Parts: sequence; structure tokens; C-alpha cells
Amino acid sequence: MKYEVVIGIEIHCELKTKSKMFSGAPVVYGAQPNTCVNEIDLGHPGTLPSLNKEAVVKAIQACMALHCEIDPLVRFDRKNYYYADLPKGFQITQQFHPIGTHGYLDIETSDGLQRIRINRLHMEEDTAKQYHVEEESWIDFNRAGTPLIEIVTEADIRSAKQAMAFVDKLRNILVYLDVTDGKMEEGSLRCDINISLRPENTDAYGTKTEIKNINSISNIEKAVASEITRQSALLEAGEEVQQATRRYDDVAKDTIMMRLKEGSVDYKYFPEPNIPPIQLAQSWIDQIKVDLPELPDARAQRYSSLGLNEYDIKQLVQNKALSDFFDILIIGVKNIKLAANWSCGEILGALSQKQLEQKSYALKISELRAMINALSDQIISSKQAKEIFPYLLKGESYDHVVTSLDVSQVSDESILKQLVEEVLNENSQSIIDYHAGKDRALGFLVGQLMKKSKGQANPALSSALLKTELDHRKP
Amino acid sequence: MSYQSIMKNISIHDRVFEALKKAHDVQPKLNAMVSFIDPTSQLEALKPKDNTLPLYGIPVVLKDLVNMKDTITTGSSKILANYVSPYDATIVKKLKEAGAIIIGKASCDTFGMGGTNKTAATGPVYNPYDLSRMSGGSSGGSAVLVASGVVPMAIGTDTGDSVRKPAAYSGIVGIKPTYGRISRYGIIPYASSLDHVGFFTNNVLDAALTLEILAGRDDLDMTSSQRPVEKYTEACVGNVSGQRFGIISNVTDAIQNKQTMRQFDDLCQKLKDQGAIITKIHLNDDLMKAMLPTYYVIANAEATANHSNLDSLRFGVQVEGKDNEAIMMASRTEGFGPLLRKRFVIGSYALFTENQEIIFRKAQKVRRLIVEDVQKALSSVDCLIAPASGNGAPLIEDSQIDLLSSEYLVAENYMAFGNFSGYPSMTVPFGFDGILPLGVNLTCRPFEEGRMLNLAQGIEDLTGLKDLICEVKP
Amino acid sequence: MEKQSKSYFIHLAHQLRFDLGDKEAQDITDEFNILIDQMDLLNKIDTQGVEPMVYPFEEPTSFMREDVVNHVLSALEALKNAPSSKNGFFVTKKVVL
Ligand SMILES: [Mg+2]
Ligand SMILES: [Zn+2]
Repeated sequence: MKYEVVIGIEIHCELKTKSKMFSGAPVVYGAQPNTCVNEIDLGHPGTLPSLNKEAVVKAIQACMALHCEIDPLVRFDRKNYYYADLPKGFQITQQFHPIGTHGYLDIETSDGLQRIRINRLHMEEDTAKQYHVEEESWIDFNRAGTPLIEIVTEADIRSAKQAMAFVDKLRNILVYLDVTDGKMEEGSLRCDINISLRPENTDAYGTKTEIKNINSISNIEKAVASEITRQSALLEAGEEVQQATRRYDDVAKDTIMMRLKEGSVDYKYFPEPNIPPIQLAQSWIDQIKVDLPELPDARAQRYSSLGLNEYDIKQLVQNKALSDFFDILIIGVKNIKLAANWSCGEILGALSQKQLEQKSYALKISELRAMINALSDQIISSKQAKEIFPYLLKGESYDHVVTSLDVSQVSDESILKQLVEEVLNENSQSIIDYHAGKDRALGFLVGQLMKKSKGQANPALSSALLKTELDHRKP
Repeated sequence: MSYQSIMKNISIHDRVFEALKKAHDVQPKLNAMVSFIDPTSQLEALKPKDNTLPLYGIPVVLKDLVNMKDTITTGSSKILANYVSPYDATIVKKLKEAGAIIIGKASCDTFGMGGTNKTAATGPVYNPYDLSRMSGGSSGGSAVLVASGVVPMAIGTDTGDSVRKPAAYSGIVGIKPTYGRISRYGIIPYASSLDHVGFFTNNVLDAALTLEILAGRDDLDMTSSQRPVEKYTEACVGNVSGQRFGIISNVTDAIQNKQTMRQFDDLCQKLKDQGAIITKIHLNDDLMKAMLPTYYVIANAEATANHSNLDSLRFGVQVEGKDNEAIMMASRTEGFGPLLRKRFVIGSYALFTENQEIIFRKAQKVRRLIVEDVQKALSSVDCLIAPASGNGAPLIEDSQIDLLSSEYLVAENYMAFGNFSGYPSMTVPFGFDGILPLGVNLTCRPFEEGRMLNLAQGIEDLTGLKDLICEVKP
Repeated sequence: MEKQSKSYFIHLAHQLRFDLGDKEAQDITDEFNILIDQMDLLNKIDTQGVEPMVYPFEEPTSFMREDVVNHVLSALEALKNAPSSKNGFFVTKKVVL
């Protein structure tokens, strides 16, 4: 039998705010345990939540990028359950009135263009982090209270490839909005993927499994593909799929059962009495729309209109930090293609992703721009540029490096013409050889000229001048 | 003891240490204190400050639900017996800024969940007028410490009537302003949508002054109001002429005690003589009878969730167990008394998805109807008035109450409408049931604390019942 | 609302992470029956078309906190009340999933 794959995805995304969702404690990744908390994050008796405006701004930005309807009356609810990582014994979330509903995201794969509908986007708070150490559990509450948005798709995804494309595109959009750093490996973007199979051309859903803890975009495709294989093998063999939560094991290259899903838990949701409804002014929402940063699709279009080829566009747009670097570099650059080459080549090779993201490099973009312009004007050769570049990386200025390395090219035509005269006068045999059709003669003459100029003559210009003069001296 | 009388003692050091000594002296009789606070560092911090601060060197007591940095805050529970607050409640900051010196924490029903103060982990609090009688609750310790002249002001909280009822039983002023008027940040909750911070004083003017200090917007409490704070002391002139009082006849009809009613009728006559307009207001009987169960459902449902943080992992008394689940189970079983466990079970029952519509949300709908009824009444009068209780404080051992009688359902529980609506409400003494004080309750429109205090002042002037102190001999 | 058994309430208590003694479970069962009677007082009231009242005052606020870090506890303060801690972490016995 042929089966259709049905996939829905839930994504939890940590928002890039300075402080927590409901407290003024800092949001920092990788800090010493329990140093980024206050009494609110620890659920101490008597504490109350106070909503972070920036978290709401970021949630709205995400809603806008995903074409969601925005509920301007913000309301929160309690989700009640007991767990060691949940300090209050309830999570403040938006069960009844999510800030965003009815959105979509268009993805493109080799299956063609596809619209994935977004069921809801809501705000909530993150839990603490637990480490299981032998017979103990160690808990760090630094993450507790970090603002989150949860994005839930409709079951519109039909393949592993689409699942990956969806998360990849969504992640890139959220990174462009500066809503999140989107790091799956650090857990700032976490997806739960619900997968089931059903006979083709039927409507009823099959039994689904949920895959959690996928730590990279590329593992999404692998995890989903292996789960599809596993489920279809079961169905083909006439066996049943067990409703369960599974995780993807990178080494085993397979999904592994974590726990069976028992009857659904009653979270006893009810409206959060400590947060009154918050009315967002339409003008405020409109302003967020006006201020919305450029999204990946728009940026790709802009690059295309700048004349970049599809490969460069893809390379740049995929990496926001690099693309932002490129955008600064091209302000006043003479050759955009050259700037793209350097960005995707040398820059990507020399700077780490972290350096790019944090702009923590000594290189001054203006100096790189000066060098690229010199290269474009053929004042220096690309060989020379490669010699200069390491010094620029250290933060030195282009002019300084050029002077101290004594590498600047001679492009002054009057000087070069003088040299051409000299070289031709000294090598009359080569003139004869050149006119006799011996190609090597020109190369020999250019070499002689470079030698005379101590390597500083602009080779292209020199060669052109030599040719002109040679034609004059046709016997 | 009034602010004025304590200020006669020039030395702030003496004011504070005399209060502490009294608190210790009456402790064997009243059992009102849970913990004492060494005031030395607070007195030190006060030294460079201006001695015209409104509460300069005034000793005060906090209900044991109020967090104050580096002090024990147990909520009169077992599970928080060792809890040391890492932070100050907003009102604690305000009290300190006003110059007050906090000398200890007063007993209450565990987490404010009761009306007798019999459920405190440290045992019942005794009424200074008759030590065999209860203080009332949940803010019982705070009430009797003011009534017995230990401190001139004590903080309480009021979720159903937990300030106003013990104030009535203790012959003092007890006020709960409008919901959102005083920040709840730092107060261990009972039920968030019903909880109010309130306090006790010996006279109405002290209450007005205290409210000026405690009221105001706090960004840490999103439900706190942005409205500017009035000069309540200036409003408090006692002019009742032309003011419209609505007697809640459902309550007066249900009260069986003739002595109470005679004195209440007297008071109303005197108000009339002063030019007040006295009318009878009859609220919807079915709604009045539904008040208690409505309260019970909403309060306990919210409380169940509010106390889910008590897992003994980050704070609180932990009991051994083989794994985390077992530790949590043992700690909560040990740490909550039977009354709490009962209320949590029932509160949680009301929240189950299959029960929410018929219990929790039903109660929330009835809440709205009750509030609409009260609101309608307050559109024709300026204040609703009735005895806060039919009788003086009950005996501690007395538990023979018919839970479905209208005397109980209406006369003893109606004040919760002030919590449903969030309207300001206060109790002042108006007479005696034998040797036991009686209180009259006033409820006004939202944020009309100024008007309410003025009317209360008028009543105080008419009865002359101010600065009542019931000394307790050690 | 229907009557419930003692064992039902014991099970419910376990979901709330505490235990009930036998007598206590009986007390709850009895009190629950009173509540059922009291709920009748509530059910008498016609609430058709009435919205549940969640907050005493329902006009929405517009306040949201600015995104600034203004209060953090030291690890020492954070862990001060912890029954058990190690290396800056709160510690409990194994969490069983
Ligand atoms: Mg979810
Ligand atoms: Zn979630």
C-alpha cells in the first residue's frame, strides 16, 4: 500500500531579550548556574509576574512575518503541572487567546512551492534546566522564565525534506527579525515533530509519534526520514504504530523511544489572575510593522537586483550575520560581485560565525572596502590582496599595510610608458618574435617590465601598453 | 494605641523596645506572634532620616504572609517554617521609607486560608477581651496585637473578610481598600483575584494616614492601579450630612442577636440625626446565599495553583524520600495541614476540564452577578452598611455552625462581596455584645476610600469608640 | 456535581503531590457533600449569557515592563533556602520521568 506522510511541527523559540518574560533578571546563555535569577524566577512565595514589553514586540514581529492575525488584547493563562524544572508549579502561557492565529509560511523544495499553515503562535515562559547526575538531579534556574514563543503548524507537511525546509526557513526568518539567535544546538530553537502515516487518499489520521530533542537543521530531515521508514515498515508488516515520544539518536541514525503517551494530562488551564488583559494600541502595532527588519526573501530580491548570481545570493541570505557584513561592505564599494566573492570566501574562512554574529573582530570593514576597491581598479593584484588581507584582519588600515609592505602597484601610465620604452629598447629580438606570432614573447616582455618595476607594475595595464607600443613598432 | 499616643514617647528607641517588650509579655496569653525581628538595624537606618516622616519610629507588625528580606516568613504554615525571605514586599519598602520599624510577624490562618486563626501552625490566637474566644481570622494575630495596645498598626490581608472580621471581634479599625490600591507584591497569596492588603489601627484617622503611605502604583504588581493617591487624612472629617447610607437588610434580617441589632439601629438613628440619609437596600437573596460557595470555589481553585510552588526543592521544609517525586509528596503531605489539603483537593476538583464549566466558571459567573447587584445598590447610595458579624467573637472550641443556615451564609459571610467586587470596605467598632466588641462594616464605590474614611470618621465620632485598648495582664 | 468516593479523593490528592490519611479522605468526602448542597445554591442562579468574572476590574491595562535587567539575586541568595545544593545547583534526588 502507498502511504501519505502527515507532519505537524511545534517550535519553541527563545526570544532574544535582555530580561526574563516576567521578571527583571537577565537572560544569559551559558552563565554560572543560578546566577541569572531573582525571586520571581525561583517561584518564591508572594512574587508576581510583570510582563516584558520587548517579548511582546518580538512575538508580534514573528506573527507579522508569518502572516498571523494578531489579537491586540493580550491575555495569559496558567498551565498547571508539577515538575522539578517548573518553579511555580504552573507555566504562564496563552492557552485560550494566543497572540497570533491563522498564519502561513510558503516553502520551496523540489516538490515545488508549498504553503504551510500556522495554527497558532503564543507567548510563554521557559522552564529550568536539569542535569541528571547519577542518582541526583541538578537544577539550574537561569533558563527559567526566559521568554518563549511557541509556533504550531497545521498538519500540512508531507515529507522529511519539507519538514527541514520549513524549520530552516522559519528559523532564518526569526533570526532576521532578531527575535531569536535560533541556535538549535543551544536549545534556543526546539522543535517537536509529530509524524503519522495514512493510506493515500484517506482522511483519517494514523497514530502519530512525536520526535523531540533534534539539535540541528540537518538532523530534522534525517530524523523524520528514519521515522517515516520505521513507521512504514511497521504498517507494511501489519503492525501498529505506538503513540509515543521519541528522540533522534545521531549515532544510531534512528529515532529511539523515550516514553509512551498515556492518556492526556489535564493541565487545568485557567486565566492568570495576576496579569490583567493588556490592550495593545493599533498604532503601536502598526509601528512595529513599519519598523519590521528586512526579511530573507526581500533581501534575496534586493541582491538579485544588485546583479548577484543565485549561488551568491543563497550563500549570503542563508547566513544573516555574513549578509549583514556584506551589506555594510557594499556601501561605496565599486565592484559588488567582488565584494560578494570576498564575503563568501576569505571572510567566511577567516572569521568564525560567532565573531560575525557578535561583530567581535578587529577587521575594519572600511579598510576591506578600500582594498576591494583598489583590487577592482587594478591598483593591486589579487595576489597582493591576499598578502594584504591578513594585516587588515588584525585591524590595520589598508594605506598603512600597502605602504609598509611596499606593495602598491604602479598604474600611472606615464611611468609605465617610460618602462615600456626601456624594455622594448632593450629587447629588440622579442619585438621581432612577437610580430612573427610567437605568443610567449609578450609574456616575456611583461615579465621584464615587472622585474624593472620591482613587481609593482599593474600587470594588466602594462600588458596593454606593451601591446599598443608593439603595434607601433611593427617592422 | 494610636499613633498620637505612641509619639508621646520622644525616644524612638523606647517606642520600639517597649512595643517589643509588650509583645513578649502578652505572647503567653494571646499567642499572636510567630517571630520577632531585632529592630537594631532598622533603627540604625532611621538615624540619618527626617524625624517628620509620617511613621517615624512607629513599631508595626506584619501578618506572617508578608515577605521582608532576611526575616522568617512562614505563612503560619509548617512547610515554610524555615523560609527566610530573600526580598522585601513592596509595602515593606513603603513602611520603611515612611519611618516605621517592623518588630515581628503575626500569626494567621495558614496562608490566610481560614476565618478563625485556629489553623495557624503555631496554634490559635486568643481574643484579648475574652481569652477563651477566638481572634477571628485569618489576620488574627495582627488584630489582637493592635487591640491589646502592643502596636498602633499591623498589616493584614483580606481575601473574604480576613481583616474586617477580626477587626470587628477586636474592637479596632480594619480596612481593605480597593483591589489594586495597595500592591500585593511580596505577600504570600491565598487567591490572587480576591486577595487585598489591608491593615488594622485603633482609630480612623490613623487608618487614613496609613493608607496614604501604603497605597499607590507598583509596576511589580500588574493589577495595581495607576490612579493617583488621595490625601485621605484631609478627607477624613466625619461629615455625614447628606451622605446616603444603605443598610443591607438581607444581613440585618438574618442577624438573630437582639443586642447587636439594637445598637446598630441606635447608630443609624444617630447618623440620621446628623443629616445622613438612611435607606434599606435589599440585595438579591439567592445571590447572597450563593456568596459563600462562590467564594469557596474561586478561592480554593486559585489557591491550589498558587501553592503549587511549594515543592520543597528551592525553599521550605523538606522531608526525605527515595526520589524527587517521593520527596515532594512527603514534604507537601507533612507541610500542609489537613484543612489545606482538603481545600486544595476541592479547589483542584473545580478546575478539571470536565468540571470547570459547571463549578469554577459557574462560580465566576455568579461572582459577576453578585458584583453587578452590589454595583447597582451603590448607584443609589454612597455606602452599604451592616454589622460585620451578628455576634461578638465565638468561643475557640465552638464549631457548632449550621453551614447552610442563612444566619451563617448571609450574616457571617456577606463581606466577601467586597472581595468579589474589589470595592473598598472597612470595619469600625460600634458597640458591644456583653464584653465583646462589635464592628460595623462600610463598603463604598471603587477608589472612594476618601469618602469611606470620612463616613467611618463620622461613625467613630458618634460612638466615641476610638483608641480602644484591651490591656492583657501578663 | 456528583458524589465521589474516598479513593477518588486520595487519587486526586496524589495528582496534587500529597497524601491523604484515611480519616482525612473521609472528611473531604463529607465536606464535598456539603459543597454539593451549597453548589445547589449556586445552580439555582441563572447564569445564561453571563461571562465568567476573572478580575475584580476588567478594563484592560496598557502597562508593560521595559526590557531592562533591574534585579538579580546572587547565587548565594538564590540557594540560601535550598534544602540541598551543590556547585551552585539546586539538587534533588533523581527525577523520575
Ligand atoms: Mg505545546
Ligand atoms: Zn509550550
